[in-house]
Amino acid sequence: MRWITLLGRMGTVILMVGLAVVLVSLPPPGSPSQSSSSYSMSPEKYKIEHSGVYRSQTGFQISVESTDNVRVYLLGVSALELENWRTQVREAYPDLDDMWIKIFTVPLIFVREAYPDLDDPQIEDIMDIVWNISVLDKGLQTHPEIVLWQSPPSSTLSHEFFPADVLTVTVIVANPSSGNVTVRTGIRDLAVLAPKERVVLPAVLLISIGIVLAIPWLILRKVKKSTL
Amino acid sequence: MGKGRPFLEVFTCALNEDHRFPILELLVLLCALCTVFLAGLAAVYGFTTVEAFTHNLLSSSTWPLIILVGISILKNIAYGLGNDVEQGIIQTLFSYPLKKGYILTAKLLSALVIPLLLFLGISIFGLFLFFPDIILANPCTVFLTYAAQLSPVLLAAGLLLLLALRLKRGVLALIAGLVLCFMLFVIFDSVANSIAYGTGSDWSLKIYAVITPNLALQEYYLGTQGFSSGIWVPSFSEVLLCLLAGYLLVAVVFIVGYVYFKRGLRI
Repeated sequence: MRWITLLGRMGTVILMVGLAVVLVSLPPPGSPSQSSSSYSMSPEKYKIEHSGVYRSQTGFQISVESTDNVRVYLLGVSALELENWRTQVREAYPDLDDMWIKIFTVPLIFVREAYPDLDDPQIEDIMDIVWNISVLDKGLQTHPEIVLWQSPPSSTLSHEFFPADVLTVTVIVANPSSGNVTVRTGIRDLAVLAPKERVVLPAVLLISIGIVLAIPWLILRKVKKSTL
Repeated sequence: MGKGRPFLEVFTCALNEDHRFPILELLVLLCALCTVFLAGLAAVYGFTTVEAFTHNLLSSSTWPLIILVGISILKNIAYGLGNDVEQGIIQTLFSYPLKKGYILTAKLLSALVIPLLLFLGISIFGLFLFFPDIILANPCTVFLTYAAQLSPVLLAAGLLLLLALRLKRGVLALIAGLVLCFMLFVIFDSVANSIAYGTGSDWSLKIYAVITPNLALQEYYLGTQGFSSGIWVPSFSEVLLCLLAGYLLVAVVFIVGYVYFKRGLRI
């Protein structure tokens, strides 16, 4: 009887923890901030639309409307990798302003890999080539592992994104067409208490174990009460 | 008959009395919900170092743990043990073939250790489930933060034990315990900070840091948030010393409680 009581109480406690895990995953994502912008993109160019550090509890929703088809890429780089790339860019382009390197690390590493023979360039030289879509394509071919998501060519799209780990996420909009395109984008930051994919399995396990342990004790308790 | 069976008898009785269904279950639900909710809120804030981020995440999310263990201590030690002494239950337990020290150990295991381990387990599980990378990457910060956060709680538990044994009345011990905790953690905090601010000397803060090493650790990791700004920013070794002194103080209070229970308790 004592063992059944002990296991039963352990079961009810485990069940409560499982229920709490489910409850915290129920609220829909909140939106602490949002921004929007509208601009014209030259043919065969790309642009960094947004960049920020995100973890599994924080993500964003991007919506894009354009006058012609554009492609959207979400690129994710870990803090360690990003620092490693910054060091490589500093070594390759020692005269470049550090602020530039910090903001545009990803495009600069793409330039360095697309044009390895570029020797001590000035900022104007880099500006001429850095936003070419060929540089982006070459960079993505070399680093396919950083592409978290890419859209098919589209003039209207909306996508919600939460990374699995802590990552610096860069949103890139590219215009592959041969004409100018007017693009209107909106970024809405999202925050959840608990990411659903982390919650489901532990919650199912905890609730199942809790119910299995608690049922004999609850039945015994009811029988005992009815006999008294 | 060995000592194990009577010890288990006393322990089971105490467990039955201290953790009635479904109060414990509701507290567990509350602890798990609040831990994850507060950790989620704390995770929004960025800090310059990973250690500071980890410390802020943990210290923010351990509030439910501290409050719920505090409630258990007030209910089970101050009120429960005080009532047991008042109603002669302790006197009945003295007739068991068990040393007095073991009786108190069984009572404290049920009143303090079980809720502490339970809520601590839930807190660690909740954080590990949602922030595994942060928890696994900084085990030292995690350990230090939990140790520092629990030191004042254990000190309060020891003092409430002494009060309950000395006053021998549940309600009286509960009221006196609440007043003592308020004085120790609210009034003493203001007094120590005021003295430091008025005199410019840090000795009052150092004394108070022995009682509440969590504030010293907070000051060390997060900068001027725990104590009067800039008067005392402890080094890591000073934080460790405060923590060690805090646990020594806790040990002394519990030893005095045990000695009083064994020798000085007149029922």
